[in-house]
Amino acid sequence: MDFAYSAAEEAFRARARAWLAANAVTEPRPTEPEAAAAYDRAWQRTLHAGGFAGLSWPSAYGGAGLTLFEQAIWYEEIARAGAPGLNSLSIALSHAGPTLIRHGSEAQKAFHLPRILRGEAIWCQGFSEAGAGSDLAALQTRGEIDGDHIVVNGQKMWTSYGHVADYQELLIRTEPGSTRHRGLTWVICDMRTPGIQVTPVVNMMGEQHVNMVFYDDVRIPIANVVGGFGQGWGVAMGTLSVERVMSFLADQFELIEKIDRVVALAQSTRLDSGTLAGNDPEIMRRLAQARADALAIRAMTLVTLSKLRGGAEIGAEGSMLKLYVTTVYKALSALVLEILGQDGLVYGDDRHSNRWTYDFMWAWVLTISGGSNEIQREVIADRLLELPRAR
Amino acid sequence: MDLTLGAEEWQIVDSAAQFLAGAYPIARLHRAEGQDRADGTALAAMGWFAIALPERLGGLGMSVVDEALVFREIGRRLGPVSVLPTAIAAEVAARAGTDALAGTLIRGEASAALAVALPGQEGGFMLHGGRDATHAIRIEPDRATLHALQGASIDPRPALDKSIPLGRARLGQPMIVLEDGAPYRRAALALAAMQSGLAEAVMAMTVDYAKLRVTFGRPIGAYQAVRHPCADMALRAEAARALLLNAAVAVRDGLEGAAELVEAARAISHDAAIRNADDSIQLHGGVGITEEHDAHLFMKRAQTLGQWLGSKRAVLDRIAAMAVA
Repeated sequence: MDFAYSAAEEAFRARARAWLAANAVTEPRPTEPEAAAAYDRAWQRTLHAGGFAGLSWPSAYGGAGLTLFEQAIWYEEIARAGAPGLNSLSIALSHAGPTLIRHGSEAQKAFHLPRILRGEAIWCQGFSEAGAGSDLAALQTRGEIDGDHIVVNGQKMWTSYGHVADYQELLIRTEPGSTRHRGLTWVICDMRTPGIQVTPVVNMMGEQHVNMVFYDDVRIPIANVVGGFGQGWGVAMGTLSVERVMSFLADQFELIEKIDRVVALAQSTRLDSGTLAGNDPEIMRRLAQARADALAIRAMTLVTLSKLRGGAEIGAEGSMLKLYVTTVYKALSALVLEILGQDGLVYGDDRHSNRWTYDFMWAWVLTISGGSNEIQREVIADRLLELPRAR
Repeated sequence: MDLTLGAEEWQIVDSAAQFLAGAYPIARLHRAEGQDRADGTALAAMGWFAIALPERLGGLGMSVVDEALVFREIGRRLGPVSVLPTAIAAEVAARAGTDALAGTLIRGEASAALAVALPGQEGGFMLHGGRDATHAIRIEPDRATLHALQGASIDPRPALDKSIPLGRARLGQPMIVLEDGAPYRRAALALAAMQSGLAEAVMAMTVDYAKLRVTFGRPIGAYQAVRHPCADMALRAEAARALLLNAAVAVRDGLEGAAELVEAARAISHDAAIRNADDSIQLHGGVGITEEHDAHLFMKRAQTLGQWLGSKRAVLDRIAAMAVA
């Protein structure tokens, strides 16, 4: 075992750090959706020009072709530089692109991959429905074949960035009467196609982060099917697991950075007892616990990356990390509200009115979205522990 | 960067496991006498009192990572915990230049108990492990203190974990005081290693049971009320293992942040051992509270180790101090 980065990895870190120092965007991301999307596209163009677009993508497809550990270093350097994340381009770069590389036709790859890398195409995900969230295989949105088109009818839910997306990875039931994982097909849906209506869902923080998407006789060319009819489940899931581990790198660095900010908050905030929160042993121990947990999460990620590089198949590691990161984030957010006291109750239905309180509520988004923590425990019980199934 | 075990590291794990299965079967702890004799010779033959001690000081010159792997097996199999205080005592004796004493400790001819200070009693200690101990070692974050027990009066106390005999003693002037944090870091890794091994063992034992035990016509492992705590146990065990390895490598290679990683590994392993041992008894149901089952042995070991090297509160206080600094 060793914990040192190789000379090549250290050289990559130096190159990434120097590039970010010269090129990282520092002005804050706007909140208005169109302006925010324009900001994301501009940052992606900059990344592309610098050779940092599509970190995990093979260079044959125009990606940066980074190793797993180089990607980890990149996320560390992004956090260190305070540079923006992918935001509205994250589905395109972290999921849609890798899925097309793995399952797409040459024509699909040739058209879409360069557009994604250059920040010209925002993608959203069309998997979940009102009745199929954590239980994704219960989805009902259907597609009927009509000549060289699929006619889609139904409704998707929880579609992040649906209001600004150009394309959608859409999972639909194309075999009438099929159930569960069978009979599903993954298609590329152009969001400008007639019959699509995007309706924002206001969340408990008072913001429009996600959308409902309605499909009324939406005609999608059969040429947009990825991976073949009836293969949708495998196509959708195949790219999830490794990407999930990598996507938590960014979350982890955010968690570590947030702990530092809470330590600073504690040192400048008085409790109702009059004691400075930073001098309250119970509060400081809970912060220390969060710090220890964050270090454990980082260690688990490094172990997982080591295993992946050694050629191991990914198992339940992504589920363990998600369960752990979100649980610690939530405990930390609850602690912040205890520290803030009355100030935590002042909130104006918008993250800028009180970022701490916004983050406190955001914790539930993390423990529920992308497979609730209950589902993650089921995945661990099935795949890692091989316990008998209840379902 | 590679945090998976290499072939030599697996060899260390396998040979430790094999030795413990033969010399220290868990079944020994159900017998009336229940205690480990201070049979130092077999342990000394394995080199366990001097794994991470440099060769120039008479040790095997292996790393704290290798040593942590051995202690993980001791924790997993409820092996002889007094290896830890004796090994640290040997290091302290060797560093102080008392080579003859170091040699007797390394050869298993002498042994050390762990001295845990009793609150509010100046000079009063609870000695852990080693009814026949010749020495006692007190290990603090920035200091290690070695006492000779010759002539000391020890009041034996019945022990929750019968394999770790307890005795109250007043200790006078120490023979060696080493003002150095290195013994603590090494002991802390060994302790966290035992706790992480224990956390893994009770998780595996519970998952195996959940696959076999049938209630209401189904194995209990099919119920989410059992599956979900099993998943939580697995997460705690994996978090403890990963952070322990990370911390041990950081200490071995003198990396930045090693001190914080060691304390964090202690905090995470402490909880993993205590909480997994708790869940294990609960999920075993009635049989879990019987003497004949192993579950209580792990709980008693977890509780005892949880008070070695100072409380978890003190560990968190040190992490908090580092975060503010």
